Amino acid sequence: MIDPASGPFLFDTSAESWLARAQQPAVQNWLRQYLALHQVYVSAVTVLERSRGYALLWRSAPEERRSAIEARRIAYLGQLGRVLALDSATAVVAGEIMALIPQPPTPPRRSHSLVESRSDRLSRWRFDATIAATALVARAPLIHNNPEDFETIRSAIERSPGRFPGLGPLELLRCAALA
Amino acid sequence: MTGKNHSKPAKRRTTLTLPVDTLSHAERIARQRNMSLSSVVAEALDEGLRVHASTQRSEEVLKAYQQAFSGLSQEELMILDGIILEPASARQA
Repeated sequence: MIDPASGPFLFDTSAESWLARAQQPAVQNWLRQYLALHQVYVSAVTVLERSRGYALLWRSAPEERRSAIEARRIAYLGQLGRVLALDSATAVVAGEIMALIPQPPTPPRRSHSLVESRSDRLSRWRFDATIAATALVARAPLIHNNPEDFETIRSAIERSPGRFPGLGPLELLRCAALA
Repeated sequence: MTGKNHSKPAKRRTTLTLPVDTLSHAERIARQRNMSLSSVVAEALDEGLRVHASTQRSEEVLKAYQQAFSGLSQEELMILDGIILEPASARQA
């Protein structure tokens, strides 16, 4: 178990929603303890991804469902904790990561008859690289639910410490290991 | 502008009924730390109220979080996580 008091932590996009939806009492209890001590830190990139997601759902929803989607968007934005900006230091580090690993380490996602395009997969990979850069610059452990992508980034940074002077290692915490 | 009113918090006399054990404990701390009983009780009350406020804030954030992601399908949750899915048939066309 990860001690909530050892935060604050940066929450990756999928980790944030996984924790919010978790039904296991131990996970809910962990999040309660964490929230009593710290704010949820997210990258501005997570707010971008989430905001785009709600906007896409709203646009594709029938008229009678739009207010429910909007209520969810407002609930999300209303509880936002600390949002870490994409500043110049983060941009420099994110650029280094993207140059080190230009292509996503895993294929596009699928669900039933739906598929993620290669360009969307590449964008998402670059968002992940930017979130990892945010964690590195903020020197905050990154809570994630995406080991393939973030372990690849962590290993690449460890192999090229000279490109990340004074930073690293990227500390990763898996959602499943929190509680 | 004067800082006169910010030097000390305003105080008010009141009467409390406390459990004997709690009061004895507070008196012991007051003696050990050479403080007034009122100061010890005020300190403990402040700490308790701070914990209460943190717990309340935690519950409010958790509730908002749960609302933000409730009642959505798996595909919709993926979109909220930044995974944009399209029908495979549309991509092949």
